[in-house]
Amino acid sequence: MTALTETLILWRRNTLKTIRVPTVLFFALFQPLLFLFLFSQVFSSLANLPGFQYDSYLQFLVPSIVAFTALNSAFSSGMQTVTDMEDGMLDKFLIDPIHRLSIMGGRILADGTRITAQALLIIGVSMLIGTNYATGVLGIFVITALAALFGMAWAGLSNIVALRTGNAEATMIVGITITFPILFLSTAFMPELLLPDWLEVVAKFNPITYVIEAMRSLVNEGWVWEDILVALLVILVLGAVLLTGAVRAFRKAVS
Amino acid sequence: MALIEVRNLVKVYAKDVVAVDDISFDVIEGEIFGFLGPNGAGKTTTIRVLVTRLEPTGGRAVVDGFEVTEAPTEVRRRIGYAAQFIGIDDDLTGRENLILQGRLHGLSAKAAASEADHLLGVIDLTQSADRRAGTYSGGMRKRLDLAEALVHRPRLLFLDEPTTGLDPQNRKALWVYLRALNDEGITIFLTTQYLEEADTLADRLAIIDHGKLVAEGTPAELKAGVGGDAITVTLAPDAAESEKAMVAEALRSIGDVIDVQTLEGSVVVVYLADGGSRISEVVRTLDAKGVTPSRLAMSEPTLDEVFLQHTGERLRVEEVKQQRRVGFGGRKRRS
Repeated sequence: MTALTETLILWRRNTLKTIRVPTVLFFALFQPLLFLFLFSQVFSSLANLPGFQYDSYLQFLVPSIVAFTALNSAFSSGMQTVTDMEDGMLDKFLIDPIHRLSIMGGRILADGTRITAQALLIIGVSMLIGTNYATGVLGIFVITALAALFGMAWAGLSNIVALRTGNAEATMIVGITITFPILFLSTAFMPELLLPDWLEVVAKFNPITYVIEAMRSLVNEGWVWEDILVALLVILVLGAVLLTGAVRAFRKAVS
Repeated sequence: MALIEVRNLVKVYAKDVVAVDDISFDVIEGEIFGFLGPNGAGKTTTIRVLVTRLEPTGGRAVVDGFEVTEAPTEVRRRIGYAAQFIGIDDDLTGRENLILQGRLHGLSAKAAASEADHLLGVIDLTQSADRRAGTYSGGMRKRLDLAEALVHRPRLLFLDEPTTGLDPQNRKALWVYLRALNDEGITIFLTTQYLEEADTLADRLAIIDHGKLVAEGTPAELKAGVGGDAITVTLAPDAAESEKAMVAEALRSIGDVIDVQTLEGSVVVVYLADGGSRISEVVRTLDAKGVTPSRLAMSEPTLDEVFLQHTGERLRVEEVKQQRRVGFGGRKRRS
């Protein structure tokens, strides 16, 4: 059997698992919408500030919520890895005649699928409440792809923690602790011009800034290829580092 | 033909814990081979090396012609394995669990589905097949796990303590089923800490204790090896060690005694051929020393005596509760 077939079998299983637990499914879909609502309401008057160059705070916010959701969702990846360890499923997969990397592959691919569904839902709802997409359907496709790829890269970090600790609580706490600084030390909720100087500098070193900026130009401006390429490059480097780390943690955990 | 060949196998865990200490044995095609020993003896470690889950520290293990370290995937294709701690996906149905394992063993979707159908019938789970496995009872999970090990029709089945945690009725039912599988030609390697299980189920067995193989043979051979009957003398509960030693010494002086063992709890066991006709000699010897036993019993040799003979201890069974969730890697207790 090819590694691709194995990966797809495990992808299907992982995705089925997500759909199978209604509470998890509900909150995975509901939570981003809640954030979309809360942030767009609380910060709506930011749009009135001088230097805010978007049509509305919502136009500005939607990409942030998509990227935030990708990040958040990525951090649940490791939790599922811990569940597989505890249920004896990982052990079972390791004695199945398959490539060991297919196990990680099936996990990350399912993460990408989940994030795609979440991103499409957020975008759909945002359109209902009046967000305009400058690049249309094709742009929405690219935004979703960026979110999924970004999330799959971050899933690497979640799995590193999961495989090194084998502990669900540790995996969750590391996820939460990292998510919020990453979000707030970026241009997620405040345009670059309105950030304090030091934060402006920090945001430049924050990978999520580039992903959000690329999405933002797709929503508000059109096809700014430079932004898209930079975002892809950032995701590529991030993914290479974190997923390599995850594979190493995996090999160590199962040896 | 030897389906499993183990030569000088050694497994040392970190911190110099020697779990398996230079063991060698063969498992012949078509037999049920029992691996009998207490918790912590090295049974699980051995089985996990054979199913390619653990790298041995030294020695060789060949399964169906393939060395476990060199061709693990070839080995995995040919074997079924039901671990002591069950691996079931609670969020999937029983049927989906079975199909998943079939697919991962290379069956087509159609073949996996029909094989799952068949096995669900065999393990009497058809009624609950489309319910989430998380709702299953312990016995149902055990059966499902066993069925998963069979979904690709392996010729060799590894079972790690298959009946631990089952009630006697389910245990007997599983024995019948394993016999039937064996009759169909599946070779079975199983570990157990139950003497009765080893005795009734295994064609041949090896006794493992503290990482070493201490005996190997058919149950009948092993019992014959004890060479006689066991007469168990139980002294007063408060008997001193010196009294036990004195009694043992006295019993040793009886002619043709094979062995005398002193055990915990004021017990002295004397082995002698044709014990039934010689119990009076034992009584006279005790009498002469002025010892009045609180209990005197004779038994034909069982695997209990075999184990005692080779290890100097009785086999103590520790009931490990079937855990739903266990740790992984180094934290999992291995026996």
